[in-house]
Amino acid sequence: MLKKLAALAIAASLGGIAHADELQAIKAKGVLVVGVKADYPPFGYLNPNGQIVGIEPSLAANVAQRLGVKLQLVPVVGANRLQFLEQGKIDLLIATMSDTPEREKVVDIVHPDYYASGYNLMVAKTVDVKSWSELKGVPVCAIQASFYNKEVEQKYGAELVAFTGVAEALTALRQGRCDAFLYDDTAIEGKLSDPQWADYDMPLQTQDAKPWGLAVKQGEPAFAAFMSDTIKDWDKTGYIQTLEQQYHVRPSAFAAQMHKQFAGS
Amino acid sequence: MIGAIAAWFSHLNDTTGINFTIFYDPFDASRFLQGFWLTLALSGVTILGSVAVGVIGAWGQGSPFMSLRAIVRVYVELFRNTPPLVQIYFFYFGLSALLPAGHNAFGMRQPLIGGFAWACVSLILFAGSFNVEIFRSGIEAIPVATTEAAESLGYTRLQTYRYIVLPLALRICLPALTNNLVNLVKTTTLAYAIAVPEMLYVSNQIWSESENVPEMMVVLFVIYIALVGVLVAAMHSWERALRVPGLGR
Amino acid sequence: MSRLMPVILHNRAPAPAITLRAWHGLALGGLVLLSGAAADAATGAAANTGVFMTLARWTPLLLEGFALNILISCLAMAIGTALGIALGLGLISLFAPLRHASWAVMQFFRNAPWLVLLFFMILLLPYHLHIGPLAFALPDWLKAVIGLALPVMANVAEILRGGVQAMPAGQWEAGASLGFTRAQQLWLIILPQAFRQMLPPWMNLYAILTTSTTLASIVGVNDVVTRAGQVLAAEGGRTDLLAPIYGYVLLMFFIYTYPVAWGTRRLEQRVRVRR
Repeated sequence: MLKKLAALAIAASLGGIAHADELQAIKAKGVLVVGVKADYPPFGYLNPNGQIVGIEPSLAANVAQRLGVKLQLVPVVGANRLQFLEQGKIDLLIATMSDTPEREKVVDIVHPDYYASGYNLMVAKTVDVKSWSELKGVPVCAIQASFYNKEVEQKYGAELVAFTGVAEALTALRQGRCDAFLYDDTAIEGKLSDPQWADYDMPLQTQDAKPWGLAVKQGEPAFAAFMSDTIKDWDKTGYIQTLEQQYHVRPSAFAAQMHKQFAGS
Repeated sequence: MIGAIAAWFSHLNDTTGINFTIFYDPFDASRFLQGFWLTLALSGVTILGSVAVGVIGAWGQGSPFMSLRAIVRVYVELFRNTPPLVQIYFFYFGLSALLPAGHNAFGMRQPLIGGFAWACVSLILFAGSFNVEIFRSGIEAIPVATTEAAESLGYTRLQTYRYIVLPLALRICLPALTNNLVNLVKTTTLAYAIAVPEMLYVSNQIWSESENVPEMMVVLFVIYIALVGVLVAAMHSWERALRVPGLGR
Repeated sequence: MSRLMPVILHNRAPAPAITLRAWHGLALGGLVLLSGAAADAATGAAANTGVFMTLARWTPLLLEGFALNILISCLAMAIGTALGIALGLGLISLFAPLRHASWAVMQFFRNAPWLVLLFFMILLLPYHLHIGPLAFALPDWLKAVIGLALPVMANVAEILRGGVQAMPAGQWEAGASLGFTRAQQLWLIILPQAFRQMLPPWMNLYAILTTSTTLASIVGVNDVVTRAGQVLAAEGGRTDLLAPIYGYVLLMFFIYTYPVAWGTRRLEQRVRVRR
């Protein structure tokens, strides 16, 4: 009798570990849980009603619509987005994440990549800097856990002062704790369109344009294939460029190139 | 020998995937070491500062002047009942904007007080407020007969405090004081929020580049436990040295 | 005689502590709002809506986050205290192996930074817990509760040990001479008296814990500090909003934590035993 109970308990717990195909599971439960940024306008930010809106939540809504399920958005940050996906807290991750080999080891990044951005510097117009090599020993504000921080420190010798959030980094910039702000070029453009930052500019060349990937948990080929087809469709119909216009982002060369590549197919 | 250690950890990463970059990558190793020294510096400065604040504040609380007592009371309540993280933000961003500033090479405004200094100030005031309360409870635990005896011998308030009350209160409240100083050493991790490159800040950078969170966590754990262990051992040996027969068990 | 009076009088009972009244909290609130208005005036408030209006608009969202902080603090305190009492009894046990094991556990959780423990819990604990056929979700904030309850447990154990140790040796001896067993001495004589000694540091711990719940924002829990950051980002990173919004958060914590501290002091005065 005890042996039977033990066997039952083991079977039940094992049943919990083994899971059905993710795609089927999402359709069955009727909700798609997507991790997005909530502090990175215009890709993901809060509106006064407390809802997360932006380019990536719009993309997530599109996916949910294609699956015919409801959408649930979960705010993530750089430090926890991979763990959330690994642990199954979210089904899909669309959170301004650059496609790097280290991240490919941990989660399944879907190809083709849906967007791209490189890093660049936001400096005051009064500061005269013409090339990246002039940054040696210059204090530069940054966001913690950005993957390009190490490169800028090592390659150009800048002294990085990294903060947890964009607001803190920008305040530090205003207060003169640093002479420039290192961030994604797309985000800087979003900032520069704000009249408050009219006395700032992005004079240098964008470095290291890296594609952004959305990710699903490892070992989900059906879901990954579905997302890949979805992205190709977005490029084909120019949906991403529509979102760029809607959220006032400078049309990126990457989106234009992807649209051209898939428009014919 | 360092080369051998580096080679071993590099080999460990290649075979098992357990990645301790701080041992084999020179860039990571050097900045982690700098972070460690900075944590030590932060801990040392804030411990000394906050104990000093505690002693002075506890004396101020018994002052006959109501204004002094009020100032101490407001200070203690304000810093005890608000989060240290938000206090640090307030000092570093809010207060520093109001202070006069210098100019740097580009001719731009540059604050005179850096992140490390503000972190020290904020943490000293934060821990100091708790120390004032701890010393106060120690002072109140002293039998009234003792202070009355001092008074009858003609000691002034300051002399009573310095020669009789403070030594006794210190012995009584030493466990609570140790507790608070331990918390302070651990609270120095908050300095990372204002980009002070102490250990946690550096570890954060390292693990987001190399995706080796668990390994860095283990390293942090071990180091902090060792640091605090040293502090506690020192406080306990001090407690033993100060022990007075008949006071406590 | 009149010259002696000041000497006699001022060495008497300690001067009455200034108690802060509720209106002091309101005065602080007024100060924060005034500074917000000053910031408004300084920037000219040309393009941006006033700081007041902005804070008022985002208040419901911030309060939601704050409620989560409170919930985390209460749960972590409850769980931590229960575990801590058990651990504390182990610390003062006469049975050496138990004492050493308790000491090791206490040292481990007391010496680890709370932030590192939080990260550990977020990473280590699974998203779902399976007990037999039941499965329930373990949300982030609950993991943060567990992460914070562990250092609380260690601190409560230490407070218990400290309180018991501060008892005069005479109490133990008197109990022994009256034929009480060790357990009886502990539960009937020492602990009831030590309880009074232990209450202030315990309430102290709750104050630390409540303010430490802000650490959860760093591990991704959607608490009031995270929401403040999101609000700042949504407002376009306005630098004139930074000090007021953090002042606002400070005010929230002050309004919640100060009555707790005040209640502690009242309790302390009522149970104080003058020896």
